[in-house]
Amino acid sequence: MTQCVLRAVAALMALLVLVPAGRAEDRPKNEVLVGGAISQTGRFAEPAGRQVNAIKMWVDQVNSRGGLLGRKINLVLLDDKSDTQTAVKLYEKLITEDKVDVLLAPYSSAITEAVANINERYKMPFVAYGAASSPIWEKGRKYIFSIVAIAEDYQKGAVHLAKQIGVKRIAIIGEDSLFPRQSGIGAKQWADKLGLQVVLQENYPQKQTDFTALLQKIKAAGAEAIMSNSYFADAAAQVRQMRELNLYFKLFSGTVGPGLPQFAEQLGDSAEYILGFSQWEPLPDILKHPGMKEFIAEYEKRYGEKPNYHAGGTYGALQVTEAALKQAGSFDSQKLRDALASIETTTVFGRYKVNDKGMNDHEGLTFQILKGERRVVFPEQWAETKAKLPIPEWSKR
Amino acid sequence: MDDRAEMLGPEKAGRETAFSRPFADTAPAVAPAVGRRRGRGWMERSEVRSLYLLAAFLVAAYALPFVIGIRYGTVRWDAEWLGYLGTVVLSGFLQGGVYAMFAVGLTMIFGVMRIINAAHGEWVMMGAYLTWAAFFYLGVDPLLSLVFTLPIAFVFGMVVQKLLLNAVVGQPELTGLLVTFGLGLTMIYVAELIFTTDFRTIPYAPHSVQITDSIAVSQNKLISFTMALAISVGVYFLLKLTRIGKAIRATALNAEVAMVCGVNVGLIYLITTGIAASLAVAGGALVSIQFGFNPETGIIYTLQAFTIIILGGRGHYLGALIGGFMLAVLESLVSLMIPNGTAMVELAAYGLLIAVLLIRPGGLMGVKEG
Repeated sequence: MTQCVLRAVAALMALLVLVPAGRAEDRPKNEVLVGGAISQTGRFAEPAGRQVNAIKMWVDQVNSRGGLLGRKINLVLLDDKSDTQTAVKLYEKLITEDKVDVLLAPYSSAITEAVANINERYKMPFVAYGAASSPIWEKGRKYIFSIVAIAEDYQKGAVHLAKQIGVKRIAIIGEDSLFPRQSGIGAKQWADKLGLQVVLQENYPQKQTDFTALLQKIKAAGAEAIMSNSYFADAAAQVRQMRELNLYFKLFSGTVGPGLPQFAEQLGDSAEYILGFSQWEPLPDILKHPGMKEFIAEYEKRYGEKPNYHAGGTYGALQVTEAALKQAGSFDSQKLRDALASIETTTVFGRYKVNDKGMNDHEGLTFQILKGERRVVFPEQWAETKAKLPIPEWSKR
Repeated sequence: MDDRAEMLGPEKAGRETAFSRPFADTAPAVAPAVGRRRGRGWMERSEVRSLYLLAAFLVAAYALPFVIGIRYGTVRWDAEWLGYLGTVVLSGFLQGGVYAMFAVGLTMIFGVMRIINAAHGEWVMMGAYLTWAAFFYLGVDPLLSLVFTLPIAFVFGMVVQKLLLNAVVGQPELTGLLVTFGLGLTMIYVAELIFTTDFRTIPYAPHSVQITDSIAVSQNKLISFTMALAISVGVYFLLKLTRIGKAIRATALNAEVAMVCGVNVGLIYLITTGIAASLAVAGGALVSIQFGFNPETGIIYTLQAFTIIILGGRGHYLGALIGGFMLAVLESLVSLMIPNGTAMVELAAYGLLIAVLLIRPGGLMGVKEG
């Protein structure tokens, strides 16, 4: 009896081992499995959703022109629900069970940092279009490459603009997680460099929704401007509560939130004059990167809006991957890794050429929300208009 | 007696009740009275002492942010700074009113049935989503939507009582805790399925109300507080003056005696959970016009409600109100004055909770005897 049960268990386990392997074998020879997990729901759903748009568009375009190295792309895009642990599990599954040929990156620095360990373990590379925190690349990793500007430079433009309008004291706040902390560190470095005094630097927990006391504290500390290293929900709450409490600051700069169309939509005219950072804007006449016009037109046709930098960066990273695969001539992940490390190419997003840490040197843009539109105001060579600062007081708007 | 039973854990507490039950059966009117009178002298002295100790601790807890603030120079005593302090304390106070209202629901369920409702925050979250759905799909004003969300919540509470809580009334407290914890998780995942995990906000009353030259509060906070106060006062009078309220209180005091006196205890359980769910949903509506929320925000409110009722005293209506104000004001003070204090708000709240449990497990008002 016991033996019978044991045998049944053994048979079941053998089956479990064989089934996923069988699935990979069954795949048609003329297909290539491209897969990743990205935050399709949860707090990152807004920025990551635009990356999903870019990925789907790229896959369709590649398939319509004959596929990757002559093989049609079969896309597997899972949802990590904006949760690091879920993402790690899903990447393990993608590599070991689904056996994807080409790996796509997740969104957010924190999730990318965790997933990067899996890249290293299974020696599968990707171009991380959703991560901008430099510590990810300072651990000697070999299978992760950056394309976007680093977090430390997100507030570069805002600090420069603060200096230009004569602000002397600033407050730096941010969510207590990897990417906001890094952009906070960068903001402090830029402030030190330009001689601005940081009167308050504080991180708040991820679930913070009430910023009443923090905003009062910033005002009490004598800050004239706020550099908020935040995502969507927290940045929106801060601006909303500034108005509700009638607190005036000469300049408010968010990192991720103001770049999302939802920001201006949900906040209405409270969003006016807010500064934000953009890795890229759909401005072919100003940036002049090859293929931009076609990319923007196609994206707009499909999704009814212009691509933002999340979409642009993702599309750029996929162009890099495509070029690297062509150079490698196969789907061998070691060859792909070597190609990604050495290739030099220009995409719709800009130039790609990584240093020996795997980091790309990308220059970002600072914009201001004016009449509901994002207008580039920094750096000067790419500025569409002059920044309207200091922000008018709440009572005069 | 009850305090000690609490500290000994559910097993010992269970034995205690089992022991006292025969007395209650044979001479329900006399035996508890005698027991209580005999115990009172001893209880009072330790009760009073622990109350002083708790009061001293609370004074220290409120003074600590000031001390740290002075040490780090974030506290200034000029008029401008006092304005910020006033704003923060007032905002905290207004927030406390809303916290207290949904904590009252938690304390009612505990008082009447001795069940710790771990899904309370999810009920609050449900209220936020009901309000959001009414606002975005039907275009109903968030305050007006209470007219139909409260009856929905009441029915929801009764269904939960009928299907889940009736099965665990009278069992060790852990059973109820586990059942409601499961209910909470289920609700989170159902909400994620329907609404996804995206953050939602309701744009409502975005302006500020200038109280004095330097003190301003947000319109929606003031509206929320006023509504919470009105609802809390309403429920208070319902409990104090109406026959149903008296029956609820009688059941809380002693379910068996209440039953002997002709109270339909089963019905009272249904009504209690119905009211508690309505209070939570009303809390959710009032929170939703101030802050963003997603399906996982419920846990914050569960923890807040727990801290409040432990601070105020489990089963106490007034205790929950006082606890709500005290918690919210302390959170604001910590956030305002301590460097990097926003990250320490939760530490302060749960530190307070643990300290109260150690110093005076019954909270400010003491646990009501069941």
